[in-house]
Parts: sequence; C-alpha cells; structure tokens
Amino acid sequence: MESFFSRYRNPLVLLALLVAQIVGLAVQVRRVDSGRTSLDSQDPAGVRLIRLWANAIVAPPERAIHSSKLGAGGFWQNYIDLRHIREQNQDLQKTIDRLRLEQAALLEDARQGQRLQGILNFQEKYIYKTLAAQAIGSSGSDQSRVFYLDKGSAEGLERDMAVITPDGIVGKVREVFPHSAQVLAINDQTSGAGVILETTRIRGILRGNRAGQPQIVGILADQRIQPGEKVLTAGGDQIFPRGLPVGVVEKVVRDPDRDSFILVIVKPAAHLDQLDEVLVITSTQPRFSPEGLQDLATSEALKGPEAAAIKEQKKASEIMAEHLPGLIDPNAPPDKQPLLDNSNPNPVSHPPMPLHPDRFTPGAASTPTVPAPDAATPETKPKPKQTPPATPGQAKPATAPKPRDTAPRNP
Amino acid sequence: MPVLTANSRRDLEIRRFPLLVYALVPLIALVLQAWLPRLLRGYVWFDLPLVVTIYFALGLRSPIQGMFMGAGMGLFEDALTHHAIGVNGIAKTIAGFLAASVGVRIDVENHTIRVMLNFFISLLCSGIYLFIYRVLLGMELEWSWVVELIKAVGNSIIALVLFPLLDRVQIRE
Repeated sequence: MESFFSRYRNPLVLLALLVAQIVGLAVQVRRVDSGRTSLDSQDPAGVRLIRLWANAIVAPPERAIHSSKLGAGGFWQNYIDLRHIREQNQDLQKTIDRLRLEQAALLEDARQGQRLQGILNFQEKYIYKTLAAQAIGSSGSDQSRVFYLDKGSAEGLERDMAVITPDGIVGKVREVFPHSAQVLAINDQTSGAGVILETTRIRGILRGNRAGQPQIVGILADQRIQPGEKVLTAGGDQIFPRGLPVGVVEKVVRDPDRDSFILVIVKPAAHLDQLDEVLVITSTQPRFSPEGLQDLATSEALKGPEAAAIKEQKKASEIMAEHLPGLIDPNAPPDKQPLLDNSNPNPVSHPPMPLHPDRFTPGAASTPTVPAPDAATPETKPKPKQTPPATPGQAKPATAPKPRDTAPRNP
Repeated sequence: MPVLTANSRRDLEIRRFPLLVYALVPLIALVLQAWLPRLLRGYVWFDLPLVVTIYFALGLRSPIQGMFMGAGMGLFEDALTHHAIGVNGIAKTIAGFLAASVGVRIDVENHTIRVMLNFFISLLCSGIYLFIYRVLLGMELEWSWVVELIKAVGNSIIALVLFPLLDRVQIRE
C-alpha cells in the first residue's frame, strides 16, 4: 500500500486538488428554472471570506500605487491649474448663477411632475446623496468586468448601490468589504440594467458582450432604432434612478441566437476603460433633497423683485379668472349662455349692423380676419373660461374688463 | 567514475530561490495583473500569474509544488473576479502539474522551449477554463479563441523577458 501511494503520489495529489475544487464549485452554483445553472447573486459565507482575504492582500498595494501616481502627477497638475484659476473662478461663478436660475425653473417643473405622480400613485426616486470614490484595481480578467473602489462598508457603501460618473452610469456595487468595494460594470456579460431608448421609448436590458461592449438585448427588430439615439436608464431595476444617461446607439445587429430579435450595441457615455473617480449613489428619496430646495430658495432670492412681480401678476390673474363672469358656461345649455342672459346688469353690447356693408365689414368673403387690437394676451386671459372668437356681427365684448388693469384694485 | 542516476541528475538541476522570491514574485504578479488593466484601458492580453506558475513549476521540477502554486494563484485570481472560485484554480493546477512534469523530461534552459511551452500551456489553460465553465458548470459564456490566442502570444513574450530576469535571482551553489 505504501508503495502504491509513493508511486502514484503526484496523480493522487492532482486528483485530490481537482476534486476539492470541483466540490467547491458545486456549492457555488445552482440550477435555475430554465434548466441552466447560474451563480448565486450573493456569495456563500466561505466564498465571501476568500474574496475578503484576496482583497485584503491586493488592495493595499493597489492603493499605494494609485496614491503615489496621484501624488507625482498631482504636483505638476496643480501648478498648471493654478495659473488660470482666477479667470476660471469668475467664469464658474457666473455659470453657477445661471445654472441656479435654470435649476429653479426645472425644479418647479419637477415639483409639478411629482404632484401628478402622486395623483397616479407612482413615485419617482431622485438622487439624494452620493459618495465620491476612486477606482483602484480590476479583476485582472477580461471575462470579469469588475473593478474595485477605495471605499467600503465603513464609508457607508452597500450592495446594489448604483455607480455613476457625470457622463453616465458605470455599474453597481456587487460586494462590499470594510474599506473597499467590488463594482460590476455595465459591460460585463452577467450585468443587467433596465434601459429605454429616448426617442422611440423602446425598453430593453443592457448587458455586456465578449468584447466588453454594452448591448441591449431582448428587443424585437424595429426599423425606427437608428445609430445616435440616446439610451437612458428606465428605472425599473431598483438600482439606477430613471433618466440617467447610458450612452448612444452605435449600431444594430441581428441576434444570432434568436430570430426576429436584434442586439443594439451601445457606445457608453461613461469611459468604462478609463475610470478614475466615480460617484456612488448612497441614497435615493422620493422628494427633493434639502440642498435642492435650498438652491431653489437661493435662486428665488436671486431673482428678487422680478420673480415677486411675476408671481403677484400670476396670482392676480388666477383670482380674476375665478371672480369674473364667464362668457361661455360649459354646463349651461346654448340658450342659457351668459352672453345671451338678459338679467346681466352689464349686458354685452353688440355693434350695430352696418348700413352699407363694405370690404371692411367682418364676415365679408374677401376680407381677411383681423384680430382685435385689444385682445387679451395669453398671460392675462382667464384660463378656464375662454373668450369666444370674433364672429360676424359679434365683436369683442366692450364691457369685459382687462385683468391687468383691474388687478391692482382687486388684490 | 561516478554515475548520475535520473534522480540525482534531477536534484542537481533543481533551482532554488530565496524565500522572499517565493513570496514576493507571485504576489507582485497578482497585484500587477489586477492593476495593469486599468492602465491598458481594459486590454488584458496576458496572464502574469500563469507565467509565474509555469516558471516556478519548470524550475522546481516538482509536480506537487507546481500544482499547489497553480491552485493558489488560480484561486486568488478567481477571488478577485465575480465568477465562481475554482475555475481558474483547476485550470492552473493542471498547468502547474503539466509544466513540472514536462520540466523533468526536457531541457528547460532553452529559451525557445520555455516560450513554446508557455504558449501551449496558456492555450490549454484557456481550453480548460472554457470546458469547466460551459460543460462542468453549464453556464453561458461568450468566447473568442482569437483573444485567447493573442493572450497566449502575450504570455510567451512576457516569459521571454521575465524568465531570464528570474533566473538571475536563483541560488547558485
């Protein structure tokens, strides 16, 4: 027996190592409903421990290399940057002021959208808080498009948080360690993000191919999809908030595995191969963040008297619209319309019929219609009850007061 | 006249390295494998841990040591990916075993032989990886043999430069 083991020692050790690793593989995969196998979305405790050890060994040298590279490059970069910093600062300040005003307008629109969403019992999530992180390493394999961040659970990162750059989405946090995190990029074969094409509103799932290009799968052949169309996040995957840029359509190819389906190859908006700094969305809320609301207040203050005057004018118009008698009552029958009401203390005066109609008479066949010079402007016109258009023999009512004139007297 | 038996000849040709080299070289290979793709914009046309495994397996001429080194390197690489741990481990275990087994029988001082050995073992490793993923695990994986061929060439070029450098740090008696 001893001679057997000594004689076949090498093959036996090989067999033992292979069997041990195959058993290890078997506990990590599971059979899914379609009959195929897949990895568990969450690693077993033992596997997670191995990943933690490997990361603990590799991350410190990577971090050191990264910081030394930043330190050397940063010194020269800082000198170059400082040379034009004053002009840049002034330009940026102007840009901030302009963007604040624009943001205030957009926030108003978004608030209205939120109210409508509330009516429809659908609430959109907004980015509430982000955390900046540095990409320090990768998996080292082209079969696994993952990379590592220098922030981990100690800094508040959790699984399935979205990772973005100002250009577009990057991926999601797959595994979190105490001071680092593993991010699965959108161009990995196993990734999946719900996306929508901006113009055609076609939805699909984004994942990577062998070459590391993101592609949208599960789309029926559609002639409307053209290169250059923008791709946005659809918001249905519970990871990426809706409307974030993903990229643009690069080309459309036939799906080799499924007839009548196509693959939409996407050129990612974020530079996935040159990632340095990224943002991790650590929190999303159904309402605006305090910072957003603060910006809104700041821009309102910046607008000052102009904004107050517009607001006052709008308010007066609304009050006027409520109090003024309408010329057309949608609920009244045609013969009981306010225009025909004799009990009205200020009856509508009809212009007298012309004795000798000429080409200037309203309703003449060859006469072009000329609008009344004192027609109410869209801003001052009461919205719910509109003035009927001028018809032959019926001019604009002279007794209808102009809201702008009466507004200061009837606040 | 002293006659060298097969075992004694093998013992004479076994390379020995300082303990620090056994620890540092694999670690540096693993760190560089994880870090370099960021510099090279995602192009991973090499497998440094495999090259180092082949070098030590050839030099040590011990299949068991080669297997354990391959298994360790492979498992470490797997742990850095999001794939199942063990796929690379099995592939590199076999690579280490083969390299050490071949190293006993052929002249591993010849650079051409070492580079060719690197090329073929790299391709074999890719084939084992694909076999485990698709057949053993039954999982979907897009594959390109052209990329694997380029990777094997990349490994051979690295071996051409790295092996003479590592030869310099071996202990000479």
